[in-house]
Amino acid sequence: MTKLGQWLCGLLLLGSAWAALAGLRLPAPLRQALLPLPVYLLVAFGCFSLATVGFRLATFNDCEEAAAELREHIRAARADLARRGLRC
Amino acid sequence: MATATDQVVGFGLVAFSALLFVYYTLWIIALPFIDSDHSIHQYFLPREYAVLIPVVAGLLLLLFIGIFITVVMWKNRKPAKKSD
Repeated sequence: MTKLGQWLCGLLLLGSAWAALAGLRLPAPLRQALLPLPVYLLVAFGCFSLATVGFRLATFNDCEEAAAELREHIRAARADLARRGLRC
Repeated sequence: MATATDQVVGFGLVAFSALLFVYYTLWIIALPFIDSDHSIHQYFLPREYAVLIPVVAGLLLLLFIGIFITVVMWKNRKPAKKSD
């Protein structure tokens, strides 16, 4: 089964569990907490994604010398190609 | 080491999403179990907004993405070649 198929099956399982529980007669507070659960999980996943992006941005290891070296390579390659007549 | 700006922005994002997660978790999951005369309820909007705001925000996000794609594709259209 493809990964997409697996994810869809998982979502289907969770969705039917939620729908089954929503059809029962639960006490009021539990029901109030259960019904928005899909939206809640979506927002929680969004928060997790945002935090991951932010954390990876903050802890990324810049390599200044490698960047300078790469810029020099690009400049040299451009000059070389221009000399050979390639317009860039 | 990332630049100072990157670190500030990055950890700012982490703090913001942590705050948002805690607030939203309290709103959706904790509040139903707290008596309605407790003072904590004054810090939260009525429950309908807990679903309404994310759904509307999601729709707005889709709208902006769609507009962005439309604008980019519009700018990149090439005139059809005329054959001699």
